[in-house]
Amino acid sequence: MRLRFSLSRISFVVLMLLFAAFMLLPIVFIISHAFKPYDELFVYPPEFLVKHPTTQNFVELMQVTSNSLIPLSRYLFNSIVVSALTVVLSTIISAMCGYALAKHPFPGRQLVFSTIVLMLMFAPEVVQIPRYLVVSRLGLMNTYPGHILPLLALPVGVFLLKQFMEQIPNSLLEAARIDGATEFGLFLKIAVPVCMPAVATVAILAFQGSWSNLETSAYFMQDDDMKTFPFFLSTLTSNLANNVARQGAAAVATLIVLLPNLVFFILLQRKVIDTMAHSGIK
Amino acid sequence: MANIRIDHIYKRYGKDKHPVVKDFNLEIRDKEFIVFVGPSGCGKSTMLRMIAGLEDITEGEIYIDDQLVNHLPPKDRDISMVFQNYALYPNMSVFENIAFGLRMRKLPKYEIELAVKKASRILEIESYLHRKPRQLSGGQRQRVAIGRAIVRNPKLFLMDEPLSNLDAKLRVAMRMEIIKLHQSLETTFIYVTHDQVEAMTMADRIVVMKEGVIQQIDTPERIYTLPSNTFVASFIGSPQINLISGRIQENALGGLEFLTSRLRIAIHESNAELLRKHGQVNRQVLLGIRPENISLEALFSDAVVTGTYRFTELMGADRFIYLDIGQDQLLTARVSPSVRFEPGDKVRLGIDSLKMLFFHPDTGVRFAD
Repeated sequence: MRLRFSLSRISFVVLMLLFAAFMLLPIVFIISHAFKPYDELFVYPPEFLVKHPTTQNFVELMQVTSNSLIPLSRYLFNSIVVSALTVVLSTIISAMCGYALAKHPFPGRQLVFSTIVLMLMFAPEVVQIPRYLVVSRLGLMNTYPGHILPLLALPVGVFLLKQFMEQIPNSLLEAARIDGATEFGLFLKIAVPVCMPAVATVAILAFQGSWSNLETSAYFMQDDDMKTFPFFLSTLTSNLANNVARQGAAAVATLIVLLPNLVFFILLQRKVIDTMAHSGIK
Repeated sequence: MANIRIDHIYKRYGKDKHPVVKDFNLEIRDKEFIVFVGPSGCGKSTMLRMIAGLEDITEGEIYIDDQLVNHLPPKDRDISMVFQNYALYPNMSVFENIAFGLRMRKLPKYEIELAVKKASRILEIESYLHRKPRQLSGGQRQRVAIGRAIVRNPKLFLMDEPLSNLDAKLRVAMRMEIIKLHQSLETTFIYVTHDQVEAMTMADRIVVMKEGVIQQIDTPERIYTLPSNTFVASFIGSPQINLISGRIQENALGGLEFLTSRLRIAIHESNAELLRKHGQVNRQVLLGIRPENISLEALFSDAVVTGTYRFTELMGADRFIYLDIGQDQLLTARVSPSVRFEPGDKVRLGIDSLKMLFFHPDTGVRFAD
């Protein structure tokens, strides 16, 4: 009986490892791709792993950027500023909204929540024109708020945090209320730390959304020095005479876009599996 | 230290016409240990939460030390509360949990440390101040929850079924701890429980509630010996009081007796006087008699019942026997654990007629002096 259990356990672990390896494939491919020499980049059928790794693509990217009017560092700086502010602000807004919806019954709460859930169903293209009108009429074209504002509303974040915060026992908040915590203190010192796994998840989602976002640079920024790194990446291979030029530089740039996502996730994923809301309650 | 006055409190939820707490009136003296007891849904926790300020009051007034607190937020009432599920902050260490209330009140760091250490010494939790709540057992968590409550030296302690998540042995131990704590802190305690043993062992006065209405407020002794109605009589005491429906009739000697189709029990003169005063002669009543007031030895030769032995419950120090006395009624009696009967045996038991209680058959109210 015990052996059977062990065998099923082992086969389960093996299966999970296979799934994990499968999920890793795109990341491995992007890393490997960045180090491929040109002949391997265009080989048909494509090779998954690099055979003769080279740093030639990195050199090419540096050459491209040194020739461009706006330095790469400016795009990166813009991306970092926009992503950092978007992550902080959208996580705070989602958490506050989730907290209000989960723990403060008010008239129309269900309607507000349903509307937010409904927003999850809209494709980004549907809201492109309204977003443009909002940003343009608020006079936010060519400004950082023009990058950030459209990304602040994160329905999936609100949904996630509301569901998580509903699990916080009311007695926990009541105990803090009796202990003298203000409403904001309750939110900051109890609700957010207890929901840290969900907060971290929302932060990851917000970062992924903003770091790789192309839309705000393409539609709301006319000045080149206000555009972000993904936009620069998209211009590397577009509008060129052929499909071969700068493919090496593009492969490296893709890796550069991926790396912060990876680092951000690795940093926060420990939180995701760390504390859970019920650990202090029987 | 606090005197509490609760004046005509009503609590309704939404548009529901039926209040969950109805006309609740109570004066609690300083340093008193009051227990609200009743079945689930009787409104005892709601009442406690209204005192804490966690629940709005629909109607009525609550005063703490002559200050009207109806609209005062919980933090300004100088109270502390222990919850059934402990409600410890899972993200904080034991030290931080206990210190949280003091930090919120912006006390100096050294004062916080001193207060936490003092509370942890009283509750013997000093050795795990650095641990997180999830690393503690149920009993330890409850101590931390109590530590968090006592550290602020509040005027009033509120406890909402704090022992119901603990196992039976730990519950008895913690019960003692809370009694000791009340004696040493000399503060007013309001304790909510559905466990009548907790109520009887801990309270200075018990408030028995049913469907939002106070049934009786009295000392544990009086609640037990002189319950105001059949609900209180049945709720307090284990096994339950025997309630037998019968008729009061005058006998040939001018005394009164209690009659059913199979029983004839003489009523003691003191009770007879009471029943006459209430005009219950030749009327149906409910007789209440506790199992310990029925014995194998007849104290009064004319207060005897005979029934058929059905089954028994051995409690260790006592044995409860259940007798069929007809009309689908079982009579419970407490006897010595060494006594044994076979199912079907006819058993003759004596009733202490001085301890007989009589209730109105419709309202359930006890006929009192």
